[in-house]
Amino acid sequence: MALFKLAVRNLRRNQRRTAITLVAMVVGVTGMVGLRGFINGQQDVLLENIIKGRLGAVQVHRTGYVKNVLTSPLQLDMADTPELRGRLSAAPHVIGVSPRIEFGAMVSTPDKRPQPEDGSDLPEADQGKTSFFLATAIEPESESKVTPRRHGLINKGGRMLPSADAPELVLNDEFARGLEAPVHPAGAPMPPIEQQLALLAGDRDGALNGENMVLGGTLPSFSAGDKRIGVVPLAVAQRVLRMEGHVTEYALALDDYTQADAVRDGLKAKLGPDYEVHTWAELFPFIKSLTGTQDFIFSIITGVFFTVVLLGIVNAMLMTVLERTREIGTMLAVGMRRRQIIRLFLFEGVVIGTVGALLGLSVGLLLIAFTHSRGIPLPAPGANVESIVRPWVSGRFVVGVLLGTPLGAALATLWPAWRASRLRPVEALASA
Amino acid sequence: MSLIDLKGIEKHYELGKTTVTALRGVDLTVDKGEFTVVTGPSGSGKTTLLNIIGCLDRASKGTYVLDGTDVSDRDFDDLAEVRNQKIGFIFQSFNLIPVLDVAENIEFPCAVRKNPEDAGKLRARVNQLAKRVGLEPYLHHKPDELSGGQRQRVAIARALITEPRLVLADEPTANLDSTTSESIIDLMLELNKEQGVTFLFSTHDPRVVKHAKRALHIQDGRIADGAGH
Repeated sequence: MALFKLAVRNLRRNQRRTAITLVAMVVGVTGMVGLRGFINGQQDVLLENIIKGRLGAVQVHRTGYVKNVLTSPLQLDMADTPELRGRLSAAPHVIGVSPRIEFGAMVSTPDKRPQPEDGSDLPEADQGKTSFFLATAIEPESESKVTPRRHGLINKGGRMLPSADAPELVLNDEFARGLEAPVHPAGAPMPPIEQQLALLAGDRDGALNGENMVLGGTLPSFSAGDKRIGVVPLAVAQRVLRMEGHVTEYALALDDYTQADAVRDGLKAKLGPDYEVHTWAELFPFIKSLTGTQDFIFSIITGVFFTVVLLGIVNAMLMTVLERTREIGTMLAVGMRRRQIIRLFLFEGVVIGTVGALLGLSVGLLLIAFTHSRGIPLPAPGANVESIVRPWVSGRFVVGVLLGTPLGAALATLWPAWRASRLRPVEALASA
Repeated sequence: MSLIDLKGIEKHYELGKTTVTALRGVDLTVDKGEFTVVTGPSGSGKTTLLNIIGCLDRASKGTYVLDGTDVSDRDFDDLAEVRNQKIGFIFQSFNLIPVLDVAENIEFPCAVRKNPEDAGKLRARVNQLAKRVGLEPYLHHKPDELSGGQRQRVAIARALITEPRLVLADEPTANLDSTTSESIIDLMLELNKEQGVTFLFSTHDPRVVKHAKRALHIQDGRIADGAGH
């Protein structure tokens, strides 16, 4: 008689108790799988918004750029050559290369009405506004491959920059509202110069230069910290900054952003010491800490969940030991050894853990499959645009649950099993 | 040739601050093939004596040699091995395992051995023994589908499957009606004769005592009568 077979039959003996224990396990495992899946989906949205909406997966700069980004970013520029772009494009996993200049700029809106002829000042409410923002100069075509999410999020009535030399810019919608800057309709003739916006920026020598622009479109906030940002055409920015033919960074799109570390290492070796290469995680450590915090909270929640479920098993098994004391005494009397008694109860724990894991995983995975195909509309943390969260869990997680749950159940059974094994046959046989 | 040799066996229990003495220096020899009953009033120490002889409990003092081996100081697992190899048990309440059928209950002591024998051979022996105790038609019945007498027959078969030197029976007829009791006693007598297995009973039942070849009477933790040959 295999102990395993005996364990299975013992579990079927008190079906109601086994069912209650199983239900607790199924609810626990389903909750764990569902929560993990949801967190994974939400983290994906967060990463996609950052990587495909703003940063790119990898960025290349002149050495020292990231360290000095707040003091002298324009001094650390690079000649934007087809040869350099070609070298970047040729790296494994790279599917898009976008040249950029990141710079601090100001945008000024025109006065709402002409200056009074008597020389008095315009009332403050009618005066134009000037505000600082962080500008990213881009080539729209190249950029659309690196940050497709940003291109797809332009608010209704607006458009992304039509070309790298168009006199248009795109601003965050809240920022544009604050400036009271209207979106210029597509195809409409340019307004008179006194009704245009002015893009102003200091060049590397400190001289303030500007160009007249219109607001081509607005972007919603789709990632944390993007309220005062704007996008301008690269050629326009190069003129304003006196940096024709130069850029400060290349943003790269990868076919799989989890390969960012490998791509960084490959490019570092390929480009040499004049360039530095950073991954999205290095450039935006907030994301790592946010996902790390989420994972930590998930661990605590699942730990509590799992402990409660396992305590249920401990309780059920202790009751079982109590009920079967005389039977255990009989088994010991006919020669069963203590470790066999332990094994018998452990098998019972493992069986209930395995069945609970399988059922819980099945329900959890069905839930994940359903919500993944339907998608859950939800804004990403720090964003006011809706994203579609598609929950998923990794094979590794599934295997972990599949192995961890029976193991946990076995551990929960260990104490009741040990107690059963320590029974003295004489006392166990004498029990009612 | 003695199978059981007890010398100066004492058993004390600690109950809080009080020490209760159940056996007070028992000397006893039981030969192979004997059919012996132990009688005595409740609390006289007969169950304690049977527990020690059955290696279910250890004496506080004295030596116990079973089948030529001193088992007085064996550890828990060693005693389990001794019980499994040399002793069969028949309990007053049958003590069958409810989730196992008759055949599985009978083979259970052999199945939990360190090196269980071939399943086919074991099942053949089970069938043979079941036939001998009149349970062949019930091999795949669960204990709760059997009468009290049938359950005790299963217990007898389970006690004999290991081919033990000694079968201990603690009031085996206490839960049976008189007809069934008679048939169970007859069965055990036959098996004692056929297989030469030593039977040692504790009982209050005078019908059992009258069949015994030897009767031991215990009183106040001592063998008052029948210890010698």
